[in-house]
Amino acid sequence: MSRQPPTTAAPAVSSSQGAVQARSPRNANYTITARLDPASRTLKGDALITWRNIAPIPATSLRFHLYYNAWRNTRSSWMRERLLAGNRDLAERPPDDWGWIDITSIRAIGAGGAPADLTSRLRFIAPDDGNADDRTLVDVPLDSPVKPGDTINVQVAWSSLVPRTFARTGTIGDFYFMAQWFPKIGVLEEQGWNAHQFHSATEFFSDFGVYDVRLTVPNAWTVGASGVERGRRDEGDGTTTHHYHAEDVHDFAWTTSPDYLERTAVFEHPTLPRVAMRLLLQPEHGGQADRHFDATRAALKYYGEWYGPYPYPNITIVDPAWQSGAGGMEYPTLFTAGTRWIAPRRVAQPESVTVHEAGHQFWYGVVATNEFEHAWMDEGLNTFSTARTLEQVFNPHFYARRYFGGFVPWVFEDLPLSRATDGNRLSGYRPAARSDAQSTHTWRYWPGTASAISYNKTALWLHTLERLLGWDVLQRIMSTYYTRWAFKHPKPEDFFAIVNEVAGRDMAWFFDQVHRRAYAFDYGVASFRSERPAARGYFGDGDKRTFSAAEAGQDYVTTVVVRRHAEGVFPVDIRVMFANREEVRWRWDGRDTWKLFEVTKPVRAVSVEVDPERVLLLDVNYTNNSMTLEPRTRAAARKWSLAWLIWLQDQLLTYGFFI
Amino acid sequence: MGAGTAFREGIRRVNAAPLVLLGMTGLTLLVAFPLSLALRGMIAAHLGDSLAAGAAAAGTNYDWWQEFLAQASGLGTTFLPSIIGFGAVLDNLGGLLDNLPMATTIAAAVSAWLVLWSFLSGGIMDRFARNRPTRAHGFFAACGTHFWRFVRLGVLALAAYYVLFGFVHGWLLDDAFGRLTRNLTEERLGFLVRLALYAMFGLLLVAVNLVFDYARVRIVVEDRRSAIGAMLAGARFVRRTPGTFYLYLLNGAAFALLVLGYALVSPGAPGAGFWMWMTLALGQAYIVARHYLKLLFYASEIAFFQSALAHASYTAAPAVVWPDSPAAEAILNADTSIGR
Repeated sequence: MSRQPPTTAAPAVSSSQGAVQARSPRNANYTITARLDPASRTLKGDALITWRNIAPIPATSLRFHLYYNAWRNTRSSWMRERLLAGNRDLAERPPDDWGWIDITSIRAIGAGGAPADLTSRLRFIAPDDGNADDRTLVDVPLDSPVKPGDTINVQVAWSSLVPRTFARTGTIGDFYFMAQWFPKIGVLEEQGWNAHQFHSATEFFSDFGVYDVRLTVPNAWTVGASGVERGRRDEGDGTTTHHYHAEDVHDFAWTTSPDYLERTAVFEHPTLPRVAMRLLLQPEHGGQADRHFDATRAALKYYGEWYGPYPYPNITIVDPAWQSGAGGMEYPTLFTAGTRWIAPRRVAQPESVTVHEAGHQFWYGVVATNEFEHAWMDEGLNTFSTARTLEQVFNPHFYARRYFGGFVPWVFEDLPLSRATDGNRLSGYRPAARSDAQSTHTWRYWPGTASAISYNKTALWLHTLERLLGWDVLQRIMSTYYTRWAFKHPKPEDFFAIVNEVAGRDMAWFFDQVHRRAYAFDYGVASFRSERPAARGYFGDGDKRTFSAAEAGQDYVTTVVVRRHAEGVFPVDIRVMFANREEVRWRWDGRDTWKLFEVTKPVRAVSVEVDPERVLLLDVNYTNNSMTLEPRTRAAARKWSLAWLIWLQDQLLTYGFFI
Repeated sequence: MGAGTAFREGIRRVNAAPLVLLGMTGLTLLVAFPLSLALRGMIAAHLGDSLAAGAAAAGTNYDWWQEFLAQASGLGTTFLPSIIGFGAVLDNLGGLLDNLPMATTIAAAVSAWLVLWSFLSGGIMDRFARNRPTRAHGFFAACGTHFWRFVRLGVLALAAYYVLFGFVHGWLLDDAFGRLTRNLTEERLGFLVRLALYAMFGLLLVAVNLVFDYARVRIVVEDRRSAIGAMLAGARFVRRTPGTFYLYLLNGAAFALLVLGYALVSPGAPGAGFWMWMTLALGQAYIVARHYLKLLFYASEIAFFQSALAHASYTAAPAVVWPDSPAAEAILNADTSIGR
């Protein structure tokens, strides 16, 4: 059953330069003061959290995420899952790398009454896996429940040790990237708290609100943060407090470093709102500012034109320090990109990651899906959109490999990367096609395949939908979804309902296969013949019955047998090309495991293709989709084996160094 | 004779032995070609009669390539996009410098080639040391004479290189690199550190390589039988003679020039017609040039060592006598018995 948008919905997306009417429910609001001490790598903070219950059930307790505790020790669920996926190095990291967060005090502040100290009631819970050692989720029972529509103020003080970067948050040298750094309240839904422990393959989920944050860091350190800077105050003790304010966002991240180069630019568009862009760049990437701005512009332009406008007045692009591990991550109105010191222009780095993370402002920032449970809803939609945007503005770009410790790139200009297969990451999806149904909650995916199912598979099935329904229909689907679910928390059924509504047809058959089941798709040509059939045997009746020897007819009979090799069913075209460039097409519903097609023509057929336009991008083996009677197999095999021969000869001579 | 003169003399000696160059190039082709044929079969089997073959023949078909790799095993897994053009050279040099694992099939081919080359290098070095044609019988007699000495020396070399690549490489380019760059936030500094560590490892490698090069030279030129003795003698010679290092640098520079030149002209992946053959011809020209430089290493080092002894072109090793046929020996033995 489709879920309707909540009645507390705010007005649709609108642009603004200043204070605006609330666009989101703003039910989780934070006023935070925090002081970073780089010498001890510690952070102390205090937050007043004003939380309104917008669920239809009372809240008898509050739940807070303490994400830093994922890196407290190897017994956290996050670490256990990473180790399970084979990241053994994590467990070997030195003592300085680890971090933690402790709530030092928590008080409920009622209207007019004395604050109630809840600190002693804190208890760590592990609703997902029962891991008693996991401290990433804490529950605080309340004296009296917060009824639907009521508000509670909670004062939380905490201290934390900032880790060497894990999961894109932490520090290296003087570079700090602070994400998931404060106690964050979970999301209450009609079934109860939707607050998961921190898992290795998933990200986050939280309610919208207003963040008013004062960050104290050493003087002369640059700060970038979600929202807009409202002021700075020199504290007179060698530190400066930076005041940031962000509205209608569901998270707050910030960064500080004395090394940043700061660049600014503006995004302007005839029909989209103006956006101030601020880039915090590593000094060694000083020459790449325009590439970052151009890529961000491309995302704001195309996502804006296709889906809807970016609703915030500014965006901050953070170029993370080398080895920080903070690159390629999205936060409201701020994201980390990622580039290299040697970054050839014909390779889409930093463009690809910049477009992707800027694009998350739409799919994650505005349409705030549950990344714990349905990561495909932001990552998949965004991977599809990234590839589509790159095709518009960074085309062609090429395959590259890095040598000598990964420092030296070499661009292979014979290998342009395509949107359909490379942008949508078909090669990564192929081995994971049957691993988990996408409808499985993301945190339950096998860690090694979570990315392929969330990012790659979704991008592939969305592009398949684009080719099936047409871009104009898919664009309307996506823009309707964006507009209708801006500043809300849609679920998969909400997206599917909009697909059916806008497409005007029931696409359940499609989503049953690509989303609810772990089906692979593979169609192929089993046999292909085109010949003048010889007739032999008795012909005629009565006295005229005679035995006739083999005689070829005048027309060519072309027979094609196509097969469905995998579970997935999808309607496909079969196209036969003839020597005179004529073509014959059949439509096959793709249901049977095989099907015979036959046509008689005065000319010989030369080739046959199943799904010639490659509508079904999820097909894991496209090579078997065609057959020709004039194959160039020998030429291709000869050419590539001879190219490989030179590689092997060179390999032998390279090792000839030893004798 | 200085390093420059030895280098020029080496060029003269290699130029004077074109059959050696041709033969060694042929040997490499002989080892590589059967594997290339096997790969050709794998590619053809995967392409089948599909239209993908047409795209792969006309240029590159990266989609098909990724499908091929998804199902490939053994030799097929080495058919990577990095084989195209100059990428092949980077791939191999990078693999050696970063000590990357090699596919089993390729490791077997490399091992076989090294054994064959070791066998033939006795004849090659003898030819360059004598500085005159030795003809087939003389060449192969020298191969046989020196082979087991080279095998014994090879065991010592293997141990030395095992220490270098099995331990020292890891200490420098994994452990030390990791420690030195752990808190660096600038990639260019990290790259400089890596270059410095490559240089350190390279110096060690060159030192070991020089010792074993001159050990081989002394085995051939001085008819040494003891591998240990030759290795110690080689080490003494390298230590006493800085020119060995300069000559090595000259040879290294020639190699660098060749690689640079190939980087500039190496073609990508043209269509399967005329340009494919041109690409192959250019690739083979590069391979021939690499063989030439390999032989130049031998020839120039031999010339340099010989010049450092009493007189130019000195060689203490007697000309190897090809044994008589068994029949001739029988007759000779019979005559002897008659004489008794």
